[in-house]
Amino acid sequence: MIRVLVADDSRVMRQIVIRTLRQAGYDWDVREAADGAQALDAVRADEPDVILSDWNMPGMTGMDLLRRLRQEGFDTPLGFVTSEGSPEMRALAEREGALFLIAKPFTPEAFREVIDPVLA
Amino acid sequence: MTTMIAGDDVYAIAEDLFAAMVDGEPGTVRPWTLPLPDWTDPVHAWVDLHGDWSGRAVVTTERATADDLARALLGLPAEEAVSEEDLQDAFGEVANVVGGNVKSLLPRTGTMGLPQVASVAPLLPGSALVTQVLLDWGGRVLELTVRDVP
Repeated sequence: MIRVLVADDSRVMRQIVIRTLRQAGYDWDVREAADGAQALDAVRADEPDVILSDWNMPGMTGMDLLRRLRQEGFDTPLGFVTSEGSPEMRALAEREGALFLIAKPFTPEAFREVIDPVLA
Repeated sequence: MTTMIAGDDVYAIAEDLFAAMVDGEPGTVRPWTLPLPDWTDPVHAWVDLHGDWSGRAVVTTERATADDLARALLGLPAEEAVSEEDLQDAFGEVANVVGGNVKSLLPRTGTMGLPQVASVAPLLPGSALVTQVLLDWGGRVLELTVRDVP
């Protein structure tokens, strides 16, 4: 079973992301982190197969998390789930090595569109 | 720098938000065609945008409507009470999604602050209204505004 870490400072949004994963057909083992720092600790303690992270979080942002993980030698696949889906943000995410960027609001179909090709 | 954020764009953002994440189906919102009623127990959620253009995206509704929004987002039954924490989280996320998508309409995106929620309208001296959208969600009104902040 794929193990995913969902990082978002909003509990409501974490719940929506987890619900959407299920609706998209992904019966994954889910852990949660309330910000980038918690997510970093969670990866250090037990590296998941994939991370779905918000971008705009207090303290350590999703981008800070991605950069820090790479600095520490973790190549854990990370996809952003963020309300900021501009071409500029998408380009930055790609340049920094993010797997994909899902813009909020999202649907189960939007999850499948980016996740299925990665799983294939 | 001045900018134009069209009401149609903001309405489309709200339509997508309700279809995808609140109700799970399209067609649950439409334009509010009556005059905006006086708020009796309002809640305001907003995010600030900074960059070449600076502004604020604000969502306002009655607390009872914000409670229903939180229930819908959390998948709670109609009779279940909504905690203040969940209300702030859920309604803040509504503003966060609106603000993030407004930011994506700008030529250069800049940065966005974290969502804030309060029962008193935030004061913005010198700001100017860029656009206002009134949304009808099952007979309840929501006001979405974008303001230019000098």
